[in-house]
Amino acid sequence: MPELQPPHLRPRLDAMKSSRPGPTRTADPRPPDHFPARGNYPVYLLFGVCGGFLLLTSLLVLRGVWALVGGEAAWNAFVASLSHPLYIGYHALALLGVVWFSLRFFSIFPKTQPARIGPVKPPPAPVILAILNGGFAVANALLALILWGELL
Amino acid sequence: MKALLVRLEPVIWMLFGAGMMVGAFLLPAFILVVGLAGPLGWTGAEALSYQRMHGLATHPVGRLVLLAAIALPLWVGAHQLRHVWIDLGGLKTDGLVGSLLYGTALVGGLLGVVAVSRL
Amino acid sequence: MAVEKTKTFVVTRFDPDRDEVPKSQSYEVPVQDDWKVLDALNYIKDHIDPTLSHRWSCRMAVCGSCGMQVDGEPKLTCKEALSDYGDTVEVKPLSNFPVIRDLVVELEGFMEKFQAVKPWIMVAKERAIEEGTYRQSPEELEEFKQFSMCINCMLCYAACPVVSNEPGFLGPAAIALGHRYNQDSRDDGAAERNQVFRGDGGVFACSVANECSEVCPKNVDPSAAIQQAKMLNVLDWAQSFVVKRGEE
Repeated sequence: MPELQPPHLRPRLDAMKSSRPGPTRTADPRPPDHFPARGNYPVYLLFGVCGGFLLLTSLLVLRGVWALVGGEAAWNAFVASLSHPLYIGYHALALLGVVWFSLRFFSIFPKTQPARIGPVKPPPAPVILAILNGGFAVANALLALILWGELL
Repeated sequence: MKALLVRLEPVIWMLFGAGMMVGAFLLPAFILVVGLAGPLGWTGAEALSYQRMHGLATHPVGRLVLLAAIALPLWVGAHQLRHVWIDLGGLKTDGLVGSLLYGTALVGGLLGVVAVSRL
Repeated sequence: MAVEKTKTFVVTRFDPDRDEVPKSQSYEVPVQDDWKVLDALNYIKDHIDPTLSHRWSCRMAVCGSCGMQVDGEPKLTCKEALSDYGDTVEVKPLSNFPVIRDLVVELEGFMEKFQAVKPWIMVAKERAIEEGTYRQSPEELEEFKQFSMCINCMLCYAACPVVSNEPGFLGPAAIALGHRYNQDSRDDGAAERNQVFRGDGGVFACSVANECSEVCPKNVDPSAAIQQAKMLNVLDWAQSFVVKRGEE
């Protein structure tokens, strides 16, 4: 079997071992054949990594607020720093990542709702999807227009 | 540390869920305007000026939006990155890595509270 | 008349008394148009190599015995048509499981997880015979019926990346089954099962790869069960602080 990672990072693979040894020796479990690079696994890992874009963007907003607290000079320096080509390239990627992440999350969301929470039933899946995708478009459009200076 | 993470999972998951919603509904707009349109000059100089931004940020709704945008999506990133680490075989250090990631989210959120209140 | 052609089957072999590690062995099998992968394996055992060991039973995708990795993906070999595969087909034992011999995997670990979720009706108060049978409306049945369709084939465990990495993870089928009972209107055991679901390797270990639901041959959608179980668990956990319970 090809070496996957250094020993301390190798998968555990003893998840399905019995707590008591059986009567014969068994061969060690193998990880899923297509993990991590084939089938659906790369998309799944990419989804996980795109979560990192959310973390970084929140930290960006935090940086921005600290700059506002610091006064006009600090704010202008912050804005100027975002013009660096690497930053712009990163933000183009981040935008794609966060949008894809959000839309994928919405597509999974309906089936995460139990049939009933107490006496309350969730709305049917198409309604949930309309609310989520519609809300996404409206909320982001609104905020973007405000930040852009077209509103307020 | 791992035992503590297991006990806190329901809370972490709730913060993660709230962060998913807030992140999806707010962060793309921030990235688009503050990260791309502004630096590329599409918005005009006035839009991202200090006076205008400070005015929006100090409005009660503005403070709320900023606080949510800072404090909640951090948990999404922390949670997802922790799981990617486990998937790549890092379970042995999950207690440490998970604590560091969630700790970052916690500290970031607290700094966000401080920053927004000082606006 | 069925047309015959030959396909090559690259099959994992492992004899614990003789082999250090599993190895591959190739077989040339004359196959028919309408054969499934299982037919080819049975042909190998019947006509070429009687030492090949593999599990199978119903031949119609209801017993869950014949799960194996076919060209790298967990499948029920009785369900997979050979016409969907190329001239060379790779058959391995299910991923993530220890291998007893050839294509036969050790299932004890799964059985333990299965039992850990207490997959039986738990009632707060025993019903007297005179009260008659339980009554359940079609709507109440719909709330858990999908999750009761599991045939324990374990393809979901073979596909799950978390099962590879977290020894304690209960896994898709066990959680779906526990959720099935939590959702059953006759059951009062949700609080007790949710304790198990909150433990190390419980529902929150799932990272929503969704591969379990992708490979499930019975459309159980265990991933849906797990995500629903997370939400209900959080509500149950919040409630446990407010509502006093018996034994916690």
